[in-house]
Amino acid sequence: MSSRRLIGKILLLLVILLVLISGISAFGCAPRTGAVARGWSGGVIAEDTLFLGSMGGKLVAIDVSSRNRRWPDVPFEMEQSGGFGCAPTSAPVPIYGTPAVSEDLVYVAGYNGEVHAINTKTGEERWVYPRKGELEPVVGGLIAAYNKVYIGSSDGKLYALNASTGDREWEFETGGQIWSTPSIGGDTLYIGSFDKKLYALGAADGSKKWEFQTEGTIAATPLVYDNTVYIGSFDRYLYALNATGGGLRWKFLAQNWFWASPVAYDGIVYAGSLDGKVYALKTENGDKMAEFDLGSPVISSPVLVGSSIIVATEEGQIYSLDTGDYQKRQLTNLEEEIHAPLFVSDGVIYIHSDKDTLYAVDAQSGETLWSLSLKS
Amino acid sequence: MDIGQIWDLIILSPMINVLIVVSGYLFNNFGLAIIVLTIIVNILTLPLTLKQINAMKAMQELQPKIAELQKKHGKDRVKMQQEQMQLLKESGASPAGCMVPMLVQIPIWISLFQSIIRLVAVTPEGFLNLARHLYSSWPQVFSLVPLESKFLWLDLSAPNFILAILVGGGMWLQQKMSTPVATDPRQQATTRMMLWMMPLMFAFICLNLPSGLALFWVTSSVIRIVLQYYMTGWGGLFPAAAGKPVGRDKRYMRRITQVEEKPLDYADVGADIGDDVGADIVESPTPPKEGAAGGGYPERLKMLKPLPKRGKHHRRKRR
Repeated sequence: MSSRRLIGKILLLLVILLVLISGISAFGCAPRTGAVARGWSGGVIAEDTLFLGSMGGKLVAIDVSSRNRRWPDVPFEMEQSGGFGCAPTSAPVPIYGTPAVSEDLVYVAGYNGEVHAINTKTGEERWVYPRKGELEPVVGGLIAAYNKVYIGSSDGKLYALNASTGDREWEFETGGQIWSTPSIGGDTLYIGSFDKKLYALGAADGSKKWEFQTEGTIAATPLVYDNTVYIGSFDRYLYALNATGGGLRWKFLAQNWFWASPVAYDGIVYAGSLDGKVYALKTENGDKMAEFDLGSPVISSPVLVGSSIIVATEEGQIYSLDTGDYQKRQLTNLEEEIHAPLFVSDGVIYIHSDKDTLYAVDAQSGETLWSLSLKS
Repeated sequence: MDIGQIWDLIILSPMINVLIVVSGYLFNNFGLAIIVLTIIVNILTLPLTLKQINAMKAMQELQPKIAELQKKHGKDRVKMQQEQMQLLKESGASPAGCMVPMLVQIPIWISLFQSIIRLVAVTPEGFLNLARHLYSSWPQVFSLVPLESKFLWLDLSAPNFILAILVGGGMWLQQKMSTPVATDPRQQATTRMMLWMMPLMFAFICLNLPSGLALFWVTSSVIRIVLQYYMTGWGGLFPAAAGKPVGRDKRYMRRITQVEEKPLDYADVGADIGDDVGADIVESPTPPKEGAAGGGYPERLKMLKPLPKRGKHHRRKRR
């Protein structure tokens, strides 16, 4: 074989090798179904302890005063198919839902379809649901009420678990995946589904009270305010429904999906959309009082601090929207993507960025009081 | 605006929205939408595909002559290159003829590929990524997302072994048909390696990708196989049958036979050729070589042979 041919063959093999390597580096050693799940848990503060799920798949408990860990982070792991001939590996569980606290337990659910109850004082696990196997991925958060924990799963079911033991008390099946976090108003539970419906269920036994059909998938968390349920849908409408009977009061059309949960204050509901705007709508009839163009999608659910609405854009800008004169004010720019819902305590806004950093920002001045990397 | 944004604006977003709308018209069946859009894109790029197949065929037909040149001027590279260039010039064949249509088609296929991978999103991140591409002026696309990922027995968002095998098989078949039978043993080895390497690689990749993409590749392969058969027959798949006329060639041969069976009347035949046969002969993508067994004009018709549109003169002018 001439040296020229040999070089040619070597070059050919190199090209094939490069294609393979670039294929693997592009797709990674993981099954590819679009973007990789990473999680963006919000947080909850109870008795001066902040609980949230890190992007490393851990439940973190932080003393808000000292910013020290209450106990070592509790890791959640799942087996992940290697893909491209790689061996199955253990991977951190993405956590999207905000944990919930009730008495001495903090509840957290992960994308691997497991719900865990962890002791708030010690970090020890009390129970896990299901006992064997797992549910389909859990994307929404959970809520604890009436000695029950309510959680929706991608298998289309809403589960009510005994808060003390983790036993299943009842389940309700919808026609699509559930990514929405349930909301509770009185003795009624509200949950949205990929089947484009919003359901109102009896919190005690899961009996269906009513359902409302929209034209789009529902992934947002409903807001219950003044006997009205507000829910945003992928059909770009924000619906205001009678909480008792499920009748439509009004609906408002935006330019893109509603993903974040709205906030209501003083007869006005504030709804952030993926079109980069926050709409201020009269709760009475849906009339638009103002719209705030923030220039970047609003995915993170806003919070109310005093009489201001604090909103984070996907690009990391934090705005304060004045509910009196409808003026927006930029508090700060974290320059990190934000998807996790904001949470607030004592005038301090807590923001979990996509770089897995927790920021504490003063709601008035916008000053970053402290930040903490959750990577470990 | 960077290149990525321009790509999204001009190519990717339109493709995603069209795919969603097509899916809406096909009973919200995403699998059918992938098949139909792949067919539509193939039809739109058909002229380029035909050009590419023709160019490849022309290059294949020159291989024996190039081999002869290599034998003749093996040691004198400059001379060999000159002769090779001259040969290409005279024949009108050009390696660029194979590459240019392919290069034009690549962005279209990449965008279709990217559209499918975005539309089979299952994670929240994937959904948000998709939302960026939806047209606010097309209200129906918002209601249709997420698309139904079930098609036949498949979950289009998950890998599927059978489809991966079909992708590999289809690609092998297509390559086998389009690859000439090499006479040089060393060339044979390289051809054999390529023949197996690419299909295996694609099958392997498909084992790890959403089967929606595999469905797109299988559909494309089937279309290309049909086109290849129509243009060049079984080619390298059944070398013995490679010389047999197919598709348009068959019609051409049939017409020639009809003409031959008629009593020879020049005026009549000439008119006939001008109206009908001429069209077949001129546009036939695989005109039989003169003097080749089973092909070419019958001797008594040679004097009436019309100048081919893509004949020597046309090519020279173009160059």
